[in-house]
Amino acid sequence: MSERAAVVLNTPPKVSGEKPGVGHMEEFGVNFARFLMRCNAECGELAEFNMGGQQTVLMSGPEAQEAFLKTLDLKLSRAAAYQATVPVFGKGVIFDAPPDKMKTQLKIQVDALRYQNMKNYSAIISQEVEDWIAGWGDEGELDFLDEFLRLTLHTATHCLLGADFRYKLTDEFRQLYHALEKGLQAIAFVDPYMQQPIFKARDQARERLQELIGGIIAQRRAESGVAYGDALETFMAGTYADGSYLTDNEITGLVIATMFAGHHTSSGTATWTLTELARQKTYADEVLQELQELFKDGAPITFESLREIPRLERFIEEVLRLHPPLILLMRRVIEDIDYKGTLIESGKTVAISTYGSHRNTDYFPDPERFDPHRPKPDTLFAYIPFGGGPHKCAGNAFAMMQLKAIFAALLPRYEFELVDPDETYQDDFSAMVLKPSGPCRLRYKKRR
Amino acid sequence: MAMRIKIDLALCQGHSVCLGEAPEVFDVIEQDDGYPQVKVLLENPPEALREKVMKAARFCPNNVITVVEE
Repeated sequence: MSERAAVVLNTPPKVSGEKPGVGHMEEFGVNFARFLMRCNAECGELAEFNMGGQQTVLMSGPEAQEAFLKTLDLKLSRAAAYQATVPVFGKGVIFDAPPDKMKTQLKIQVDALRYQNMKNYSAIISQEVEDWIAGWGDEGELDFLDEFLRLTLHTATHCLLGADFRYKLTDEFRQLYHALEKGLQAIAFVDPYMQQPIFKARDQARERLQELIGGIIAQRRAESGVAYGDALETFMAGTYADGSYLTDNEITGLVIATMFAGHHTSSGTATWTLTELARQKTYADEVLQELQELFKDGAPITFESLREIPRLERFIEEVLRLHPPLILLMRRVIEDIDYKGTLIESGKTVAISTYGSHRNTDYFPDPERFDPHRPKPDTLFAYIPFGGGPHKCAGNAFAMMQLKAIFAALLPRYEFELVDPDETYQDDFSAMVLKPSGPCRLRYKKRR
Repeated sequence: MAMRIKIDLALCQGHSVCLGEAPEVFDVIEQDDGYPQVKVLLENPPEALREKVMKAARFCPNNVITVVEE
């Protein structure tokens, strides 16, 4: 993207169906993934629509998506687009921090995902999976939407805050976390400071969480010299350029931000993966054979052995293609942009849709068909479940490791089948993070 | 055929997987602000390091490393 002021430029074509006052909000609210596909089908590479007063330009296709993903914060701001996260993560945290502090906070978040931590996390996740299935017996039926939400809350709190916190996980923590989640629904992206009960509950929850996490921090500071191997330890050790440590508020904010980045995204994808394994018998058998071969004679599931499980990886990647947990990625335009002769003015929002990109027939023929053997596109910007470019989801390797750890343990031991009619297992577009519509019932039976 | 390593620094977040796999070939340098960045120590690594280099490229979470055969 280059700026060329004072040249006569086109403006992006506008999407039909705008209504006075609300713009396209209603249609967006019904099914935003399909709405964004309509925008692209009608207008092409750039499509402008109105989100309750905020002019938003959808950029479609690998070329436009690459421009979106590679343009730095100074021109296309994540912070300005994601202000709804500020009361959830906390004042001064990530998208509310000055640019240099934000960079350091995000860097410290990645520090918690480095090699030694990842090894610890993979052991934790494998243990959590074993504990989870310990009481299953030979056969049964479960709502896996609930099950995976619980499992990934356990793995997330365990990896982030340590064993002590995880095993004393209280209902109070669950409720606080849930109150924060409710504070980040679509309406918060219009104005997160409206006088609303959900926002009041959000602010009270954020305050109480800080007390809880602040308590662990204080305890750990008092017992210096203990190694925990969790993310909190890394967050507490991280420093800014001047050598100062993060405040309790900032550490709490990083914990919350990391939970939000990883919890629902992982549980939704795990639920979809299990559902597709039950649906796609032929491909599931290929994955099963691979796992039986790799882990024969009781070979353990470890960080190393999880790194290369190609058929399972391709299966999960195909799940992420059809059901990308984050559909809409946004930035606020800070400086006017000239995109191939079209002016996108500062103040507008630009957006890309992972869901739409993954159904681009130029790259994914017959896109609704589940096929893990599809050839990979020759560009990095058509298949974008984790975004891409400099701000790509830093947790992408963690996410894949966790999913592989779950299914490498589950699939060789149990077979799964759908309880309800196949067509009732659908994407639920009512929340910002995609998941299957609940309940998501499956029957399991121990393999002989 | 010899290996040549190409990197796209714009994609690097300093996860340091490459450093874990092939410390002879990669280092990761802390920066004043933002993510640490990979530094290639051997642009044309010897054949003996091929397996390690390929693993570094394959397991990089951000597709930073490309190995060109020339």
